[in-house]
Amino acid sequence: MIKLPNTLSFRLTLWYASAFLVCFVAALVILYVSTQSILNGRLDTDLKEDIADFQEFYEEGNLKHVIQEIEREMASSEDSEIFFRLFTGDGHALFSSEFSYWKEIDAGRAPLARPPSQPMLETRTISSQDYPVRIVTGQIGPDVVLQIGESQGKIHEIMQVFVVVLGAIIALGIPLACGVGWLIARQAVAGIEEVGRAARDLGKGELDRRVTFTPHGEEIQSLADTFNAMAERIQRLIQEMREMTDNIAHDLRSPIARIRAMSETAMGESFTNGDYHKIAGATLKECDRLMQMINTTLDMAEIEAGASTQKNDRVDFSRLVTDLCELFEPLTEEKGIQLSLSLEPDCYLVGHKQNLQRMVANLLDNAVKYTGPKGTVRVTLSRQNSHCGLAIADTGVGIPSSDLNRVFDRFFRCDHSRSPINGCGLGLSFAWAVAKSHGGDIHVTSELHKGSTFSVDLPVEHVLR
Amino acid sequence: MKILLIEDDQIIADFIQRGMKEAGHGIDHFEDGRTGLQAALQDNYDVAILDLMLPHLDGLSIIDRLRERKKNVPIIILSAKRTVDDRIQGLRHGGDDYLTKPFSFSELQARVESLLRRAQNIAEPTSLTFHNLSMDLLARTVTRAGKKIELQPKEFALLEYLVRHAGHVVSKTMIMERVWDYNFDPGTNVVEARISKLREKVDKDFDLPLIQTIRGLGYVFKKPHD
Repeated sequence: MIKLPNTLSFRLTLWYASAFLVCFVAALVILYVSTQSILNGRLDTDLKEDIADFQEFYEEGNLKHVIQEIEREMASSEDSEIFFRLFTGDGHALFSSEFSYWKEIDAGRAPLARPPSQPMLETRTISSQDYPVRIVTGQIGPDVVLQIGESQGKIHEIMQVFVVVLGAIIALGIPLACGVGWLIARQAVAGIEEVGRAARDLGKGELDRRVTFTPHGEEIQSLADTFNAMAERIQRLIQEMREMTDNIAHDLRSPIARIRAMSETAMGESFTNGDYHKIAGATLKECDRLMQMINTTLDMAEIEAGASTQKNDRVDFSRLVTDLCELFEPLTEEKGIQLSLSLEPDCYLVGHKQNLQRMVANLLDNAVKYTGPKGTVRVTLSRQNSHCGLAIADTGVGIPSSDLNRVFDRFFRCDHSRSPINGCGLGLSFAWAVAKSHGGDIHVTSELHKGSTFSVDLPVEHVLR
Repeated sequence: MKILLIEDDQIIADFIQRGMKEAGHGIDHFEDGRTGLQAALQDNYDVAILDLMLPHLDGLSIIDRLRERKKNVPIIILSAKRTVDDRIQGLRHGGDDYLTKPFSFSELQARVESLLRRAQNIAEPTSLTFHNLSMDLLARTVTRAGKKIELQPKEFALLEYLVRHAGHVVSKTMIMERVWDYNFDPGTNVVEARISKLREKVDKDFDLPLIQTIRGLGYVFKKPHD
């Protein structure tokens, strides 16, 4: 058996050609049948009209006049195509045109018993003729019956020409249908194939590969757009991952370098017990920092993957913020910062309580960290319809506008803040991840040396994804 | 008290053994799961500390075998796996507590002792006394050298936690978890600020400072140079 190609374009072509052919053939068959019935109807009408004409002839003249008319008609036709016969009312032959071609007509048939009141039509097939003959029998005068027989050969000849023409059209139509079908299929599939090639290239590592052609049809366009968007995201993710790996490597290297340096120093000979204690303490601190960094990175990955956020606690967010502010109060007092609160009660959220706590704590910690003595940290919690808005505004060092859109990036720290204040550069990106995982958003506005405001907007009854 | 330690990391094992001996507990150490399980079945230990990833027989299987044989020794799981699922799995198998590596020794010690108290059904005390400071846990009052000290609820809870662990170092993380119920470090100096406020009330006007800072580790409630 021949194996047919299992490609989409082949199948599309096949379907298209078949559908085209079926419709085409159906239309032709209908045309054929209706033409034939029109022609047959026309013949019947002609025959009946003839009977009516001869009635008139008979009324105008007599039988002789009728026979003259018949002979005139016969002179212009072939004997094998038409015949006329005249009978008396009880079936005795009065006259007949050349009848040698039509002898079989009366075979096996009772002679006319009674003249029909209306012209009577019938079709007879006789072996000496190639085509059936249509016969009309009608009274044209008192006791005179006329019978006209006309071969259907003409109609059949026309229909035969018709069949030849139709056959030719179909024969031409098949390759045409296949050709058009193929072209349409190619056009449809070309887009898919291009996307397929692009996907293969992307898979091989050509991350900047995109689908560039202009496809026909919205579906293919949308496929190409979706593909390009996906490729874009993959490229961005890999880019981010590379940057992050670089950052992590850098940020892990620094504490390790310090631990190494301290341990090496401790191997020196002039060391006292107190010095050892100091170094062990500092080493522990660095280790904790490293751990915190690793854990936060993992937590964030979990939040982003939606793994740890399966929990849907009902959280009293007002209470949560109040408690955290209370936690930070001694610290602000110590630093001489005024902590001013304006918290609307009873803001309830559905979400991951611990992550929400950490998000608020990170924002508070940030505000307190970057605000100097006599500064103010203003915490506002408000509710608008289905959202809770938390704003934490400080009068601290501020963020340069060039850095504003990067503060939520992992491991990003503004340069001016890098040296004096320690932190792992993950607090804000953690806050960002938590806000996003709760269906909310987080923004920052800032003015250098005047202060920054972080605003978190959280939907009230959001179910975590 | 007799402790069983099953841990294949030599440095971690030494660290725990040294600490427990200093704290006056007896401790037996095994490096692999199989011998560790045998020891646990033969002897009666007060507490078992076990790692999850062990040669020959992993920690969860050891717990399963012990519980099958109706050995009810309290078990603390030590593991580098830190996800909530790992923790739940460990506890579901019959572990009594779960501690993530890295950990501070004082934390481990606190947990071991708390498990022990639970196992021995020691009633919670209603008052605590240390040197010349005493706390009434029911009336929620604090006196030192006969003088009443006014504390806010959170300060009271912090002091109670320190006095309960008197002589042992408590880390900032432990304080955050146990006193504030926050399972994360909320930021730079929150605990330090609390401690310094507490010091002002509890230590400042008295004979000896009792809240000591241990660099890098945390705080310990004890007399200086003890």
